[in-house]
Amino acid sequence: MKRVLLLFPVLLSLLFISVRAEERKPVRFGLTAVVVRENLRFFDDMADYLSQKMGRPVKFVQRKSYREIMDMLESGKLEFAWICGYPFIQKRKPEYLKLLTVPIYKGAPFYRSYIIVHHDSSYKDIAELKGSVFAFSDPDSNSGFLYPQFFLTTRNFNFNQFFRQTFFTYNHAETVEAVAARVADGGAVDSYIWDFLKKTNPQIAQKTRVIHASSLFGFPPIVARKSVSVDLTKKMTRALTEMNKNPAGKQLLNTLHLDGFGQFSADIFDDIKVMAEKIKNRQITSSLDRLNGTAKP
Amino acid sequence: MGSTRISLNNLSAKFLMVISIIVASVGFTIGAAVIIQDWFRFQQSLEEKSLLLAHSIALSASEAILQNDTWSLHKNLRKTALRANGNERDTGILSGMVLDPQGVVLAHIDPANNPIGLSLSPATAVDKKAFSESLQAKTAKVFHGGSLFNDPFIEGIVPVFSDRKKIGIVRLRLSTVELYSQARRSAMTVLATTTLLVLIGSFFGALFSRRLIKPLTILANGMQSIGRGQFPDLPLDIFDKKGEIGQLAKSFKWMSRQLEDKKQLEDEMAANEKMVALGRISAGVAHEVNNPLAGILNCLDTLKKHPDDKELVDRYLPIIEKGLHRIRQIVASLLGELRVEGKQEFSDPSCLDDLWELALIEIDDKPIQLNWDNRLDKEVVLNKHRVQQIVLNMLKNAFQVLKNQGTVDFRAFRDGNCLVLEVQDDGPGITKENKDRLFDPFFSTRPDGTGLGLWITYRMVQSLGGSIDVISEKGKGTTFQVFLPAQQDKQETQKETA
Repeated sequence: MKRVLLLFPVLLSLLFISVRAEERKPVRFGLTAVVVRENLRFFDDMADYLSQKMGRPVKFVQRKSYREIMDMLESGKLEFAWICGYPFIQKRKPEYLKLLTVPIYKGAPFYRSYIIVHHDSSYKDIAELKGSVFAFSDPDSNSGFLYPQFFLTTRNFNFNQFFRQTFFTYNHAETVEAVAARVADGGAVDSYIWDFLKKTNPQIAQKTRVIHASSLFGFPPIVARKSVSVDLTKKMTRALTEMNKNPAGKQLLNTLHLDGFGQFSADIFDDIKVMAEKIKNRQITSSLDRLNGTAKP
Repeated sequence: MGSTRISLNNLSAKFLMVISIIVASVGFTIGAAVIIQDWFRFQQSLEEKSLLLAHSIALSASEAILQNDTWSLHKNLRKTALRANGNERDTGILSGMVLDPQGVVLAHIDPANNPIGLSLSPATAVDKKAFSESLQAKTAKVFHGGSLFNDPFIEGIVPVFSDRKKIGIVRLRLSTVELYSQARRSAMTVLATTTLLVLIGSFFGALFSRRLIKPLTILANGMQSIGRGQFPDLPLDIFDKKGEIGQLAKSFKWMSRQLEDKKQLEDEMAANEKMVALGRISAGVAHEVNNPLAGILNCLDTLKKHPDDKELVDRYLPIIEKGLHRIRQIVASLLGELRVEGKQEFSDPSCLDDLWELALIEIDDKPIQLNWDNRLDKEVVLNKHRVQQIVLNMLKNAFQVLKNQGTVDFRAFRDGNCLVLEVQDDGPGITKENKDRLFDPFFSTRPDGTGLGLWITYRMVQSLGGSIDVISEKGKGTTFQVFLPAQQDKQETQKETA
């Protein structure tokens, strides 16, 4: 018993050390193409800000595609991530993500998908882009892939044969570049990114113009792994939602052209869910058609 | 003298010219070689650059082509091209593209005019050729847009392989504008350097040729001086004593000294001869004057002893008179020569014809025939008094030789650069012994001759720079031939006289 009593403080100190070690371990925050990731110094400032607010180091992690970030979330290599609404609504078994907060853009947690073309081109409608070269941002992007796919499908175009050639840039900003450089005749981009570029990088964004804007969709949300402790989740949520309440946070939000972060219901992503399901059904139908040899060109 | 200087100057100018030409031709040949070498080097480096860039694009292209990643392909192409150019305004890269094996554009630096996903449509013949060559390319190669020195572009063509299957072609076209300007700059540098070297070479060449020619000039001037009868002391120290010119200078110095000695000897001999001649003349004059003087004194002595003998006076006075006449004749002859020597007058050959009258007076009524044949041109200039005296002396001599009858021929003609004056008689001729002494003063075969006529003639011919010849044989008559230089330089004659 004495021995056990002697052991107790040792165990306690070990626990303490491990908690301290846990606190010194950086919180990993994944970034995707939903924000302009090229501004590295800004994200250093943002990381510093969050670290200070949370009392723990925060580290931003970037990968080329949404898929990679999603994989890292799944495998526990990230605690938090800023992802698109489309990957968020995709069904996962078991669900390992929880919605943390949604950025408020122009007063609401919504954005659109823009179809853009080169400023000097004559395109006025998305239908005119038939047979052209088109740039998507990411196969898991709502504004950059799902929406145009959905839109063309609803207008009874065979999406797979509509464009002469398509490619992914894995970056909304680069989709704008591809259209500006006329590598692609048209492209689908996040309205927030295009507006952002229009202000911050006008010489490229001004070479493009919007010929179609979608209805409103839930803004790409901040998510957390479910396994992340409630305490940490709360700290992160508070750090983000209270950003617009202090000058340093406000300045960072201004740089991001955002009003703040708010807590909203996951319902705001239902429209995306509906689109995704419709596309999926359509794809199944069309692949069945193909199998039956009844596909129409 | 002047002409010699000019020809030597010409030699030094020729030397300079030859050295300059050699230096220039060597310089410019090397320069041209360097320029051409530079050109090939620049061209080669441009070829290497085009291949290197195309290779670096091809390296990253393989994966992107396989994954149909058009955007990465484009970004790589653009990045490589921009990196190569440094900035977008640089015209170094004319075009760059990635094609699939069928010629469909996978990526292009200028996608607006070369849409992705469509077959490339080359516009010009050169572009079509480059296009078909790139499609056939199995290994990396360079395509030239033109001929060797007129090449608008150089294109690196690198096929992209994956698992030994050709999956694409990278084409990178570089402008040769930079090449040309580089080559021009290098050519200008080479030309400037060469010109400078040629100038320096010519300058040293000029110094060298002057140094080389200077001893020759000095030698030539020395020889001129010797020609004038002076013996200059050459500054021998300026010559390289071991060199050929040094040897020449030494020989010249030796020759000059020998000539000087010789001239001194000749001068001494001439002076001796003059003394001898003077002695002979004095002796002759003394002898010639002494004979009549002795007779005159004898006569006067006899007359003094018999002042009243009228017969004696009648007999001796003519003898005295004859002796005095004789003395006067001798003195007059000597004075005549001196008088003639002092006079200078020039005339055309018609002055010879004036002698015809005088000759006729000399012949008087003797049966002597005189044939006159003067064929000299009017352009010929003669030293009038001397030539007249020469001819008259020869004629008088002929008349005296003929005594009372015979024929005398006078001929004057030109033979090349010589004027020939000829007097021929058909008299008794001259014996060999007499011929040798013919021109000695006071030598005469006639008792009443002074022996001075032919001596004076001889001296005058000599003073005119001519020569006299006698052709004679006992019993076959005598011909006197006087040869005079056709161009009788007035000044020279005056000098000789002085």
